[in-house]
Amino acid sequence: MSDQKIGDKSSPDDKSKRGFLFGLSHLVGAAAAAQLLGGNAIATALAYSPKTDSSSHPGKIFSQANMVLLRDICALVIPTTNTAGAAEVDTHGFIDNQLYYCYQPEDQQKVRSTLLKINKVALQRHQQHFSGATTEQQLTLLTDLEKPSNGFDNEDRSQFKFLKRQIVFGYYTSQVGASQELEYLAVPGGFKGSIPYQSVGKAWGSLGL
Amino acid sequence: MNDDLYIKESSEVYDAIVVGSGISGGWAAKELCERGFKTLMIERGRVVEHKKDYIGEGVPEWKQPHRGQVNNLVTEQQPIQKQCYAFNDTTKHFFGNDRDLPYQTAPGTTFSWIRGNQLGGKSLTWHRQSYRLSDHDFSANKLDGFGTDWPIRYKDLAPWYSHVEKHAGISGESAGLPQLPDSEFLPPFEMTAPEIAIKASIEKHYPDRQLIMGRMAHLTEPTELHISQGRVNCQARNECQKGCSFGAYFSTQSSTLPAAAKTGNLHIAANSVVHSLIYDEKTRRVKGVKIIDNNDLSEREYLGKVVFMCASTIGSAQVLLNSKSKAFPNGIANSSGVLGHYLMDHNYNARIEGDIPGFEDEYYRGRRPGGLLIPNFQYEPSRYSKDYVRGYSFSGDASREDWRSKAEGDGFGADFKAELSQAGKWKFWMMAQGEMLPRFENQVALHPTLKDKWGIPQLEFNCRWSDNEKLMMADAAEVGRKMFLKAGLENVTAEATERPPGIAIHELGTARMGRDPKTSVLNGYNQSHDIDNLFVTDGASFPSSATQNPSLTFMALTARAVDYAVKEIKAGRI
Repeated sequence: MSDQKIGDKSSPDDKSKRGFLFGLSHLVGAAAAAQLLGGNAIATALAYSPKTDSSSHPGKIFSQANMVLLRDICALVIPTTNTAGAAEVDTHGFIDNQLYYCYQPEDQQKVRSTLLKINKVALQRHQQHFSGATTEQQLTLLTDLEKPSNGFDNEDRSQFKFLKRQIVFGYYTSQVGASQELEYLAVPGGFKGSIPYQSVGKAWGSLGL
Repeated sequence: MNDDLYIKESSEVYDAIVVGSGISGGWAAKELCERGFKTLMIERGRVVEHKKDYIGEGVPEWKQPHRGQVNNLVTEQQPIQKQCYAFNDTTKHFFGNDRDLPYQTAPGTTFSWIRGNQLGGKSLTWHRQSYRLSDHDFSANKLDGFGTDWPIRYKDLAPWYSHVEKHAGISGESAGLPQLPDSEFLPPFEMTAPEIAIKASIEKHYPDRQLIMGRMAHLTEPTELHISQGRVNCQARNECQKGCSFGAYFSTQSSTLPAAAKTGNLHIAANSVVHSLIYDEKTRRVKGVKIIDNNDLSEREYLGKVVFMCASTIGSAQVLLNSKSKAFPNGIANSSGVLGHYLMDHNYNARIEGDIPGFEDEYYRGRRPGGLLIPNFQYEPSRYSKDYVRGYSFSGDASREDWRSKAEGDGFGADFKAELSQAGKWKFWMMAQGEMLPRFENQVALHPTLKDKWGIPQLEFNCRWSDNEKLMMADAAEVGRKMFLKAGLENVTAEATERPPGIAIHELGTARMGRDPKTSVLNGYNQSHDIDNLFVTDGASFPSSATQNPSLTFMALTARAVDYAVKEIKAGRI
């Protein structure tokens, strides 16, 4: 289980299963909870399993150089703070996998184009690839891309926003993003229409997706 | 429970045959079995066992293959099913494979036919909204002249609504509205603080409109009866369409199937695609059904003394149209010639959104499995708009934005991450649910040459919105926009769209009830005018669509029809 090593000390399997069973047990007692649930109710599917080395080799649709670039962009969009960031939970590997299985070639091409453009501008500005630039240079470049200004146009911006959405989706549906950065409640036990926001202090990560 | 619940070959003559296992079929089987009838439930798809086969349930998104998104190889096979809001990677196995389920649409028309071909049918994936029809609905056709009169009135169905509601479990609040009679309620779900404020504002500005909590087939507080069915209270996961091992929402699996099986009278023939009904010209009765095996395409027959068609509106129509004999060359029970006609759906083509200022300190806990409703306020001719007849309801809710709506926002780094981790603005949205007029031109018919893999003629849809529906949606968008502004919402947008019929998944009509056998297929007890031992109790029987989500009425009509059929059989009249 490589994903155990990344940004979370407890196994996500155990954690989600515990959460699910806890909600049940709380309600009907532990023995009854086990009976209530059928064999597959907490089955584990064959999910994309985060890797530590996605940028050390080519991905399913991206070259190794692009995997490195993607990793660095992930780290800039959602960095490590008191929780792991997007690169740390292998959002770049996830995006490569997700685009391969769930998106059409034209969407894959949007990301390829945006990566190409980012490197092209980096070379013009700094005579090296994006990943070789300083963090400050990288952030300035991405900020220009989003505006868009200084060599980027609206189409560049729109292509980048597609990638940004993939990064945000990948991160906030990861175990760290959904259950550490956000508040995850597998089995709420019922609906309360009004609670003080500060009692949670952040958005729910459990969205029933 | 009997040892041989699932059967394949059988020469037995069953007391009753029920075609279909969804909301209507489950109710027919339960009511028949509880009256001592040895009943065969026929399902064209596979068996889905409660709990065990809910393979998408309880899996956090990061353990799903694609975090809820669906693999291209799958969506290529389900291009129509994927249009359904409930279709995703955790539910896709409860939707049909379009490759195997072809149908045609007349030039210039589109119809999205969503399929749930498995034991439990679409009761596994429905949206669980449960509303009674009122006398305003039952008399609308008669009063304004569109469509044929319902042969029943509210008083005929009221006790049966109560009967099914107590068993199914319907949450909601009593409102005493003439156009939306109260049900036997479990406690309603709570509203959020901004919803309560919007309710007060709308009701102050519009005395004819009420904003109420949606009425849903969820156990907010299970009764002894529900607990005895093996069901517990709703956990507010809002992941219902994956299947619910808590049995907290009504489905065939959670509610009617266990009740039917407990009697020992239930048998189920799964993977049995009904090709046609077998008609006996001598006795002028239906003898049974001809089956094509779902898997090996072999043929077999099942025999029964009375047949209940509960195969879904369009499914039932297809079987009836394909049951041809000397007496009924154009489809069984079709002496009137209206079989397949007067197809309806609901019209969800107006959507209004707005921001709710304030309430930053307010949040909710849990995921409420449904929203709010403004019942139809144009429910009688004197309240109609001057431009069109009938009316619409609004449904929707308030929630706070999260990373999904902020994903394309500008910014990078720790600040961007911090912003995404916080709940955002409160948003309110509503969608109109409009009545569709029953029109002869809107129909399904058998295609003259094309067949499916079971050798059954494909259906051809010819169904479109009329000007009445289009004018209604344009008006609903404008009325909704004004109402949102009056209620103090900001950045209000309103839009009327033209999504084709079908996608509301409220198909109705095609074998309508009526008083006159010359213009309708069924009488007021869902019994064929032509054939005494044939009943159609699903949505095919509706003479009008009303605005309400129809499933609760499927349940009540079915239970009432079974009660009638059993009495008639015992009296020797069937």
